[in-house]
Amino acid sequence: MYIELHARSAFSFLEGASVPEDLIHMCAEYGMPAMALLDRDGFYGSPRFYLAAEKSPSSVRAHIGAEVTSETGWRYPLLVASRAGYQNLCRLITRMKLRARKDEGSISAEEAAEHADGLICLTGGKEGPLAHALARGGIESGAECVRKLCELFGRENVYVELQRHFCREEEVRNQAAVAIAHELGLPLLATNGVCHAQPQQREVLDVFTCIRHHRVLAAAGCLLARNSERHLKSSAEMTRLFYDLPEAIANTEILSSRLKFDLKDLGYEFPKYPVPDGKPQMHFLRERAREGMISRYGTDNEKACKQVERELALIEKLDLPGYFLIVWDIIRFCREQNILVQGRGSAANSAVCYALGITAVDPVGMDLLFERFLSEERGEWPDIDLDLPSGDQRERAIQYVYERYGKLGAAMTANVITYRGRSAAREIGKALSFEPEMLDRLSSLVGAWEYKDENDTLDRHFRDAGLDLDYPLIRKFLDLCLMVQDLPRHLGQHSGGMVVCQGQLDSVVPLEPATMPGRVVVQWDKEDCADMGIVKVDLLGLGMMAVLEDSIRIIRDDYAEEVDLAHLPANDSAVYATLQKADTVGMFQIESRAQMACLPRLRPTCFYDIVVQVAIIRPGPIVGEMVNPYLKRRQGREPADCLCPALEPVLARTLGVPLFQEQLLRMAMTVAGFTGGQAEELRRALGFKRSERRMKDVEKKLRVGMEKNGIAPEIQEKIVHSITAFALYGFPESHAASFALLAYASAYLKCHYLAAFTAAMLNNQPMGFYQPATLVKDAQRHGLRVKPIDITCSNWLCTLEKSVKEEEGFALRLGMRYVKGLREEIGAEIVRERAVRPFASIENLKLRVPPLQKSELGALAAIGALNFIAGKRGTHRRDALWQIERAARRAGPLFEMPEVFSEQFENSASITQEVENEPSDSASPLLPMTVEERLIADFHGTGMTVGPHPMAYHRAQMRKQGIRSAVELQHLPNGMPVRVAGSVIARQRPGTAKGFVFLSMEDETGIANAIITPQLFQQNRTVVVHHQFLLIEGILQNQDNVISVKTQSIRPLFITRAETTSHDFH
Amino acid sequence: MARAAIHIPDFLVQAVVRAEPTLRGAAIVLVDGTPPLWNVVAANEAAALAGIELGMARALAEQFETVQIRPRSRTQEKAAHAALLDLGWSVSPRVEDTAPDTIVIDLAGLSSLFGSEETIAHQLAQRASELGLIAQVAVASNLEAAIHAARGFPGITLISQGEEAQRLGCLPVDVLGASDEVLETLERWGVRTCEALAALPVLQLSERLGQEGVRLHEWACGAGARSMVLAEPGLCFEEEMELDDSVEELEPLAFLLGRLLDQLCARLQARSLAICAIHLRLDLDPSGKKDLQVRNDSSRRKNQSNTHEKTLTLPVPMRDSKMLLNLLRLQLQGDPPSAPILKLFMAAEPARPRAVQTGLFLPASPDVEKLELTIARLVNLVGDSNIGSPQLVDTHRPGEFRMDRFAPSREEPRLSRRKNAARSVETERSDFIANSKAGKPAIGFRMFRPPLPANVQLQEGRPQRVSFRGTRGEIVAASGPWRTSGDWWREDAWHQDEWDLEIHFQVPSSRLGRNPASCPQQGLYRFYYDSISEGWFVRGIYD
Repeated sequence: MYIELHARSAFSFLEGASVPEDLIHMCAEYGMPAMALLDRDGFYGSPRFYLAAEKSPSSVRAHIGAEVTSETGWRYPLLVASRAGYQNLCRLITRMKLRARKDEGSISAEEAAEHADGLICLTGGKEGPLAHALARGGIESGAECVRKLCELFGRENVYVELQRHFCREEEVRNQAAVAIAHELGLPLLATNGVCHAQPQQREVLDVFTCIRHHRVLAAAGCLLARNSERHLKSSAEMTRLFYDLPEAIANTEILSSRLKFDLKDLGYEFPKYPVPDGKPQMHFLRERAREGMISRYGTDNEKACKQVERELALIEKLDLPGYFLIVWDIIRFCREQNILVQGRGSAANSAVCYALGITAVDPVGMDLLFERFLSEERGEWPDIDLDLPSGDQRERAIQYVYERYGKLGAAMTANVITYRGRSAAREIGKALSFEPEMLDRLSSLVGAWEYKDENDTLDRHFRDAGLDLDYPLIRKFLDLCLMVQDLPRHLGQHSGGMVVCQGQLDSVVPLEPATMPGRVVVQWDKEDCADMGIVKVDLLGLGMMAVLEDSIRIIRDDYAEEVDLAHLPANDSAVYATLQKADTVGMFQIESRAQMACLPRLRPTCFYDIVVQVAIIRPGPIVGEMVNPYLKRRQGREPADCLCPALEPVLARTLGVPLFQEQLLRMAMTVAGFTGGQAEELRRALGFKRSERRMKDVEKKLRVGMEKNGIAPEIQEKIVHSITAFALYGFPESHAASFALLAYASAYLKCHYLAAFTAAMLNNQPMGFYQPATLVKDAQRHGLRVKPIDITCSNWLCTLEKSVKEEEGFALRLGMRYVKGLREEIGAEIVRERAVRPFASIENLKLRVPPLQKSELGALAAIGALNFIAGKRGTHRRDALWQIERAARRAGPLFEMPEVFSEQFENSASITQEVENEPSDSASPLLPMTVEERLIADFHGTGMTVGPHPMAYHRAQMRKQGIRSAVELQHLPNGMPVRVAGSVIARQRPGTAKGFVFLSMEDETGIANAIITPQLFQQNRTVVVHHQFLLIEGILQNQDNVISVKTQSIRPLFITRAETTSHDFH
Repeated sequence: MARAAIHIPDFLVQAVVRAEPTLRGAAIVLVDGTPPLWNVVAANEAAALAGIELGMARALAEQFETVQIRPRSRTQEKAAHAALLDLGWSVSPRVEDTAPDTIVIDLAGLSSLFGSEETIAHQLAQRASELGLIAQVAVASNLEAAIHAARGFPGITLISQGEEAQRLGCLPVDVLGASDEVLETLERWGVRTCEALAALPVLQLSERLGQEGVRLHEWACGAGARSMVLAEPGLCFEEEMELDDSVEELEPLAFLLGRLLDQLCARLQARSLAICAIHLRLDLDPSGKKDLQVRNDSSRRKNQSNTHEKTLTLPVPMRDSKMLLNLLRLQLQGDPPSAPILKLFMAAEPARPRAVQTGLFLPASPDVEKLELTIARLVNLVGDSNIGSPQLVDTHRPGEFRMDRFAPSREEPRLSRRKNAARSVETERSDFIANSKAGKPAIGFRMFRPPLPANVQLQEGRPQRVSFRGTRGEIVAASGPWRTSGDWWREDAWHQDEWDLEIHFQVPSSRLGRNPASCPQQGLYRFYYDSISEGWFVRGIYD
């Protein structure tokens, strides 16, 4: 029996062409009982390899190892024999990686010897030490090299490796290797140096070789594979190949039996929290939880007290106090540093988390299910995700964790970047010597619609790009693109996942430096870490948290008021009135078109309604067809039906419609007698990676439980249906509640502090559903005065200005960050110089901010930001454009001021004054811009206009054509034929909408929605996708104040050349 | 002094339509690019109205059913431009070749021949139409004004002296041919017409746009006093000879060719030029197809048309008619015309003569002209693809090499030569040491080109018996297969299994001759099986 003990996967990044799962699959096909994966300088693919082997029906053992680069460039093929060996190899790779640049690094022989315990070394294929030595100095050098390996790893741990790929040079090496093995009395070992699972994947390997060496296939020559023999071969094939050396085959089985380690034996330990006075962690946690409980619930909430105690008991039993304390510690740090932080996800089901301040939702008050977060049966670490303001604040929290647990105690999880349509097409095209222009076109063509119809194939994209698939090369290109889909390209860094360990993370998984200085990443991605049982804390950046934080700061600074998010008025009528009108642009999670279409029907009146609102517009409820029944029941159009009386306590609050994952769990617990852990198991079985077998098993258990509880068969059927239909994309109630808190806070701030909220939104772009132009127009419709960018008073960020009239409140001044092409450092320099003294003229501005380039001056002038530079003298944009051409033009060497004079000149107040008063030819001969020209300049230069909406200029003409404004639609009857027009601000083709396209069109009065059938879309694809202003004719649909137009015809509208933008395809 | 400017709008499209008049009036799109990627590079007004945009992919343009798509033709553009110049020279020798789509004609003194300026303008438009081009003609006393008016106004425009500014005022500024940067600035200023540009103060304009601004301003005002840059009739060196009696033999043909070459060389000498290429076209007599010196069937098949064309490209410019004749003769010997010759046409591509400064202490290298002649003789003997310097190719493909044009290397600097010599000795020594250490015997390999077809009998996948070139043999020892495959993305992908075979030959047949050396008893050969052609071949023999 042959066992492959030297294989690379695509996790050797561009040196292997198959994912670990494919290798295991082939291994199982061949009936091979084990296989070893030796990726280059890491264990990147090991978890997937191990898990695939675990799941394989014909139990394959996954041996782990790595090829580690030596100082001279060849690689030690090392196999892990024991846990000590695994830890040694982890440390060895970490040491190598942390001192080198990304994707580089090597180890010395001394380091190899230091970490040799538990490792078995092979002499390798053509990249191995023996081949290298033979090439350098013939058989003597080869023998010397093998002797050296024996010294480093021990005689019994060295195997002389033989590979046969039908290659002369290799056979010469093999003969030398056999002679050396006989001379030194070492065992021979046959391997195939596998790089791909199947022969045809050699083509991918060749393309990868080109990418790695920055060559094209036509010029790669001998860098490419000599033949296609590096695929996984069956035992029979290998036995035939090594017919003359049967012991080399037999030894694979012997060596495999020596490799005792597998990845379930990882030895991971979560760090202990350093309790100040040396008391046990549990004791310290209990104290913190009790303190928090009293502050959250008071002293007499018996239910809360019981729940906290129950949770603490379980935490103690599972030995998890350290985890909770570490998260609590991060929260404490954030609070001390005034960083907004809030736990999300299933952690909000825990009363302990609530008491510790990790989450902000009361799970006792909301009767949330703790088992969704933590259960004894599950045997998994709990998962706590923390939302932080995106940007610097989150970075501070991350750096705190690094500092606290040390370089080898904490790391970010990796993010494996894989080949997708666009990247695959680009890189393969490059390898096939396609023209850059063609590559650009191909990349741009790969569609971004969420919904893919049967025409959205790569074939179609290629044909759209003008590529003829009848050309063999193009056909090959397409095949390769399909073959590399989802193969790993390189390792990135996950945005927020951190793993923490008891100071020894480098013995659990190798660590690498991240591209960002000061950061370390593990070699596994988030999913792999979870699968391997490594506990992680997600420190996620949330744009809305940053908006809330900025809003609070602006309110404090400008309004001189203090807003505490934890103590916002609970049932603010203005907020609910706004939500009921679906007037929610900019509000967290409830601003999308779909959410807006639901709000007037749901009509939220309390916080829990917002929780439902957040959860209901999700693929789960939509696919499970839960939305309409819920809304009908809520509107009293059909009675609430909880399926059976036993489920009433579970489903009553959502009117008999299961909307949350917790309800699913409770249903199983109630009707089938599942424990919390079993119910969680049910959720996982039906979850995202559902498998038919597991589903059937769980369904069987469910039916047995229901049978035992005497549930009628037809009710059983209904329950099973509702559970299975829904569970796929369910949303935890606790998570929805956490998000609902943010939604409420954003709505509250928008309703009561519109200027501050809008400024904060604009300062944290890009985020949310709408473009800044839409946010500005929405704020203006709500009465906010938005002032244009003005170099004499705008800062880099948007700011508030107190209006002269008290009753007008604040106006918003756009910041220079919205000037396209202006560098931030230049903006800051302008603000600094302006603070010294105002700019006297454009020449003066250029003189005092020398790095200001002509293009930047032009951008500022075109949007009117220089109009007031010399006081309010009525300069218009063209005046400024006239002046900048002279200011930006070099005077020539004769007239240019030497630097030393320039400084004196600057410092001499009298001269400066003189120069500043010097008359400039600011009165240009140019005509002021027309309205249309200003619109074009505004959108081109800032992406928005603070003046009237482009549609406003054409309203009279529109009326003549019978075109209604968005606001008029609200007062028209259902079913009426209408014509609407506007600028498209969002195009959507959601995966759940069966090819329907939804357009949001804005005019000066608001937003109108149009629905386009798939057929109509196909007929008008170019118009819908490429034109920004559209005229739509159709039938008005007004259902419960949810207004849309069912489109019958679409035409482009040519009213302006302004480059408006839209948020498409999400 | 009036000047007439002639401008051909949509020149690229018109050049194609000129060659395909049935397209006139249709919406036409021209595409260009590297196959299979084609982009729209030009479209006429009708196509633009249909929705065609420049830069659009051909596939997208094909969706517009009303438009006709054609590839861009540089040949037709060249021809159209030549026709435009001919049009100019047909009325005056004083013609300026302003742009591929625009020329200017000096009308001074033409009135007595052709009539008034208006009449001339109409005649020019008419003649352009006869040449298959729709032209915009403008006559003005100012050269630039005439050009800009021709570019901006359709039909015929006559501008009286002093009216230039007024007439040009309504034209867009881009007819002035400003740089992209200046056009962008003018656009930002809202200056879109010549009138608006002319209204700007020139001094302040010069402060902002420099000399280009001043020049544009001048043109926008209809001013400007540039002289015409007269186009010279092109450097066209062509000679032809029609024969009363057809020529059938090479020798008399060579005599005629020599005459043509003498004429051409004399003309070139008068212009201080030399020849870098000669194009020869021989018109054949279709009735008397008869090979002069037919070498093989393939050449006969090749020359089925009524002309026989040859191009002689020279490595360096030459003007020696005898040398050139020899080279041409050798070419014609290698690939003779298939029928008697009725007419000879010869065109020479001119180039500046070669100027060589050889080093005083450098050894003499072969004379380039003589070397070229020698190579041409060799080409005549062995074929074009079989001469040159063989170069190894970076590939796994067995036996692959390419032939580079043979050219003696120039003398290297002394230092680097010494270094190279040292390095090559070093390399040889290390190779020798490596070989001797690895115990490799020094063995040579002679490759059969092309490989010899063979029959191989297998047993359990291994060769047992072979036969090739009339010999049979038993395999004494076999080593292999050694497998190579590659170039899978090309149509000539390969996949071969090589075997090194020690063959014991059977008693030599009488066909192999009586010389024992020519029929060895045994030998070590390299065979291969080609999986794509599914055949066995002998690659070569180990010496």
